[in-house]
Amino acid sequence: MTASFIRSDDFAAFVTAMIEAGPVYGPVAKRSRFAFARLETPEELRLDYDVSILPPKKLFFPPAQDLLQFDGAGFRAPVEPTEKVLLGVHFYDVKAIDQTDLLFSERNYDINYMAHRETTTIVAANIQTVSSRAFFASVGADVQPKGHDAFLSAIAGGYVLETLTERGEALLKFGAFQPATDAQLKEAAEVNAAALERCPEKLEHGTEAIAANVRAAFKNEEMWTAMAADCFSCGTCNTVCPTCYCFDVQDTWNVDQTSGQRTRYWDGCLTEDFAKCSLGEGACENFREERATRFRHRMMRKATYLNEKLGGPACVGCGRCSAGCTADIADPVRIINQIMAS
Amino acid sequence: MNHQCHWTEVENIFLPREATIVRSVQATPTETHFTLKMADGRPLEHEPGQIVELSLFGYGEIPIGIASSPTRKSTFDLVVRSVGRVSGAVGKLDKGESVYVRGPLGHGFDLTKLRGHDVLIVAGGIGLCPTRSLIQYILDRRDEFKRFVLFYGAREPGLQLFTDDLAKWRTAHDVEFYETVDKSDPSWSGNVGVITTLFPQVELKPETRAVICGPPIFYRFVIRELDMIGIPRENVFADLERRMKCGVGKCGHCQINDKYVCVDGPVFSFADVQALEEAF
Repeated sequence: MTASFIRSDDFAAFVTAMIEAGPVYGPVAKRSRFAFARLETPEELRLDYDVSILPPKKLFFPPAQDLLQFDGAGFRAPVEPTEKVLLGVHFYDVKAIDQTDLLFSERNYDINYMAHRETTTIVAANIQTVSSRAFFASVGADVQPKGHDAFLSAIAGGYVLETLTERGEALLKFGAFQPATDAQLKEAAEVNAAALERCPEKLEHGTEAIAANVRAAFKNEEMWTAMAADCFSCGTCNTVCPTCYCFDVQDTWNVDQTSGQRTRYWDGCLTEDFAKCSLGEGACENFREERATRFRHRMMRKATYLNEKLGGPACVGCGRCSAGCTADIADPVRIINQIMAS
Repeated sequence: MNHQCHWTEVENIFLPREATIVRSVQATPTETHFTLKMADGRPLEHEPGQIVELSLFGYGEIPIGIASSPTRKSTFDLVVRSVGRVSGAVGKLDKGESVYVRGPLGHGFDLTKLRGHDVLIVAGGIGLCPTRSLIQYILDRRDEFKRFVLFYGAREPGLQLFTDDLAKWRTAHDVEFYETVDKSDPSWSGNVGVITTLFPQVELKPETRAVICGPPIFYRFVIRELDMIGIPRENVFADLERRMKCGVGKCGHCQINDKYVCVDGPVFSFADVQALEEAF
């Protein structure tokens, strides 16, 4: 598609015009951190954010999403997506969205995710501030993001917008864009390359070597038990992960006790009852009863199980789990580097 | 992503269909045997061994193995053990009332691997329910299979399921039926002991195809017996139970290593799952 430039002075008007045309979501400040939220004004947009608390997948796969609504007379599926723009997504989160796009559409196409996804225009943005636990440069480095419609890079005096799809191209009408010069494109490429150099954490090995070694470590129970010794089974590492997509489904009644909804909620494989089955009469079987087995399952899933399907690891190096873990034991870099060194 | 909008053209995998209860039998103190008919008249069109997600609005959904053969077309059977919120509510329903089902889901028994061979089915406890879909199928298409041996173990005589079927199988000529209970009572004159005590009672050839379904502990002991007969593990088919919450390979609850039981199974060749550390 095309590459355009917009001056810093014209950028607010561009965002305003998009907001006036329809919902726009982007990173905004939330106390000392950042979250993706619907923009009311262009001033709220914080393209200098390091990492959002929750990944942007929440727009397509909300923490709670009704699959069905029912009343005494029948039921309906409330799939009512709206056209929207998701602005300012870092490339690692685009890679994660690429994964959930595949996982929700393959085999059994999940309309509840896909309807919201297919009605979203994603504008990726360069990483201006690198978060303290990021390792996006060294994980699945050969996997390129592909699900975005346009890519915005902040350079001196303004922004370069490179469009990849018709949807991306359609955004140009909202701003005072002019064709980008070769020098501007070169600068955009440089700021993006520079962000990769600034990751504080780094995996020391490639995807295939890691996958093989992590898989081979499956039966090293002593190691997993030691790694998981301080795990609270809280599931924070799952909750903040952009590639986690497990869910629970629960029915709830409304106060009239006739109508209600069947809702899916984010769930996490680190929680104690995730793989627990009832056998009847109070008996149950928990297929991953020990913390170590749940801790191991997450790492297997991130580093090996899905690799063939995804073409790379199910981890994009955002560092959210590392930063979110109360006991600070969830960091994939530390876990993987320890396995590789053993 | 490719922004051709597909979502408007695709069926919603979470929409259930209504089914009406045409018969309800309290099989044991906790288990109810339902015979159901799709309210829209379209048959379920399942394979033996497939599951459905059974639901009641306001209570939730649970995975249940279909307990009848597709050769018996107009209705299908489910046995519900009332242990939780959904199963407890479903267990109280009676003839004429409605439930909702999604499915059939997953991969059932691969009949192409069973046809033309001796077949042994080993069912423990509630494992008789999903395997009954295959038992009925074999009995209805008896010529397609060679020798047919069926082992069934229940914890005690009062917990036996499908007692009408058992009565028929005991005297039938088209199935060699062996049964046992872990714990006897005065009504029982048959074999007492765990299911493996049935193996010495019958001679089985190593060419036999074996289908096994039971509680988690059961697989470890039954596979040992099958190994001793010399049945290769690729000819052993295990019907596994997991917490199949969504039934469509998304929610993650039933995952065993990289397999999703609900879509890759619930029936697996033993050779395919034995290497999965979390399978048994």
